[in-house]
Amino acid sequence: MTPNRRSLTYSVALFFLLSVPLVQAEKVTLETSNWGLEGGKACVSCHEKSSAGLTMQWQNSAHAKNKVNCLDCHQAKKEEEDAIEHEGAIISVIVSPKDCGRCHGKEFEQQQGSKHSQAMSSITARMPHLAKQMGDNSTLLLSCAKCHGSKVEVNGDGTINPLTWPNNGIGRINPDGSLGSCSACHGRHQFSKQQARQPEACTHCHHGTDSPDKDIYANSKHGMMYQGFKSKMNLDSDNWVAGQDYYAAPTCVTCHMGAAGKIKSSHDVGMRDSWNLNRPISKKQSLVILDNGNKIEVADDEAPSRRGESIELADGTTAKVKAIASSKRRRQVMSNVCQECHSKMFAKSHFNNMDAQIELYNDKYGLPAQQIMAQLYEDKLLTPMPFDETIEVTFWELWHNEGTRFRHAAAMGDKSAAWWEGIFSLGTNFYGKFLPQLKQLAGKEKAEQLITEHVKENDNHLWFNNLNKESKLLGVEKGNDEYDF
Amino acid sequence: MISKWLPDFITRHVLFALIIGSIVGMGFVLFLIEFDHFTSSEEFCTTCHSMEIVAEPYRQSVHYNPSSGVRASCGDCHVSEGVLSATWDHFLGTKDLIKQLFGPNYDDPVVNALHLPEAAFAARQWFKNKDSATCKRCHVKEAINGDRANTLKIHQDDAKNKTCIECHYNLVHRKVPDEKVFKRDKWNQMIEKEFSLKAGDAEAILNK
Repeated sequence: MTPNRRSLTYSVALFFLLSVPLVQAEKVTLETSNWGLEGGKACVSCHEKSSAGLTMQWQNSAHAKNKVNCLDCHQAKKEEEDAIEHEGAIISVIVSPKDCGRCHGKEFEQQQGSKHSQAMSSITARMPHLAKQMGDNSTLLLSCAKCHGSKVEVNGDGTINPLTWPNNGIGRINPDGSLGSCSACHGRHQFSKQQARQPEACTHCHHGTDSPDKDIYANSKHGMMYQGFKSKMNLDSDNWVAGQDYYAAPTCVTCHMGAAGKIKSSHDVGMRDSWNLNRPISKKQSLVILDNGNKIEVADDEAPSRRGESIELADGTTAKVKAIASSKRRRQVMSNVCQECHSKMFAKSHFNNMDAQIELYNDKYGLPAQQIMAQLYEDKLLTPMPFDETIEVTFWELWHNEGTRFRHAAAMGDKSAAWWEGIFSLGTNFYGKFLPQLKQLAGKEKAEQLITEHVKENDNHLWFNNLNKESKLLGVEKGNDEYDF
Repeated sequence: MISKWLPDFITRHVLFALIIGSIVGMGFVLFLIEFDHFTSSEEFCTTCHSMEIVAEPYRQSVHYNPSSGVRASCGDCHVSEGVLSATWDHFLGTKDLIKQLFGPNYDDPVVNALHLPEAAFAARQWFKNKDSATCKRCHVKEAINGDRANTLKIHQDDAKNKTCIECHYNLVHRKVPDEKVFKRDKWNQMIEKEFSLKAGDAEAILNK
């Protein structure tokens, strides 16, 4: 073997070595000698009396089996904002991802900067309006923040602002600055693999109006197979690679973060999403990884083109691009997961149909409605304040409720959510509410101009121009409160 | 007649002196008991406005309003039992009186709140040094049944070598973190926000 060929062989060997799928949960990064703190051994005696259920959960956990005790996770330095004295030890009640990351370093690194970890910080600008106009601050804790997370505030007297805690939201802003909450998916204090791999770990947030994935998954073929073969899912296995350790059905974890074939598992759960499906307009998006450790989602056509490029961030600072995963690359990874069970063509056809339906939503409803709304704001026919005018609520329902449901259904295969609760609801909203309300608000002339520009000239609405007579849908005059479909 | 029963040095004068001395002595002890009793009352303590400020949260606490009606007064917790110890505690307490008269203006709610943590740390230390003696006037560890399943067992097994104050603090007065984790800057910020002061005002008041 010539030296050249040898080095090639080594390279190939190395490539396969690095590509070996993750067959086990990531090894913890802390040496065994660093856990099982002496000071944490006495906690249990009292807690099995004072909070027996919680203690039993821990006693049946992998943590207990590996001698990880209360203080290992709850230890705090006295400088930490939420540090308290408890039975002679300095602890914090809140165990942040940073705390978990003392041992689970890899997961912490993947999770920080993920879309999940920004679930709270990314909606702070939108939340106050909804919360204050439709509820109050404590509603916020019991609704939005339950999934998105709260910004935990520690008072000067060491107590925690009860409007910000207790909270397990996945984008929680912790007193130590880290983002997220591991217990959002890994229910404390058992931290069971079996529990976290089941769809319920995700669907306790991903259900209902704004993220109807629970029903969509349950009504899909994947959900049907999961229900039928739940006992064969090998859920408590140490290794959980699709196509190796289980085969019966995919759960949320399988496609969005799990190991499959050569694809490694990742705690950056949004990583394989090539579309953003929860905004007024869906865009194919690139994941841009920055040198400061942050990750941002950027529409493909606005994404930086090469590594090393400096980009300006929303907060005005700049950062260098470390890596870019284009939507195409992300789709490829997702598609590879599909191929553990489906043929390449099968997966491709599904994604083609899905993409076409998302584009249909964009072009037919999302974009025209968004452009009309923008014009109404520009013409001062609407006040800048959100949710104080009927059409604002209608537009919100259009993209946030019906639009999201339709797009998610297209992605995951629930026919009823795609049709009746999806595009049919979008249509009845757009033709039956949004456009009539536009006429009421803007008056016949202005409305006619906007409708011609954004609807009648849009190929998707051609049927509208071929009516024998003027549609009753748009027959409402300004000042007339009555309209009917 | 007297000399027949008593030693020679007990003369009539000595006898009178003893009788009068005893009466005065008893009177003095009775006075001390009454004095300690009166100066341990909420009524007496709150004659200083600064104490009125710390009494407010106390009046919201379970020690003031237990369902049983057994109300603990200031002295029940903060003054030792027994006339000698009680008198000694009151004697030491004059230090607070001197500070009240010549020290910072504790009657000002801001000054009061800024100095509260040190007062709380000192009080907790006092309880600890006394092995929570004043708590035990009413509470008997062996009889703490509680409402929940294992309260008694926790107190018997796990709190065996602990004294009440080690676990039970922040029960009555405004909450102050334990000294080990106390952060002066955070405390100052909280008080500044509470009284709508500028950043740095608290520091200036403390240094005045």
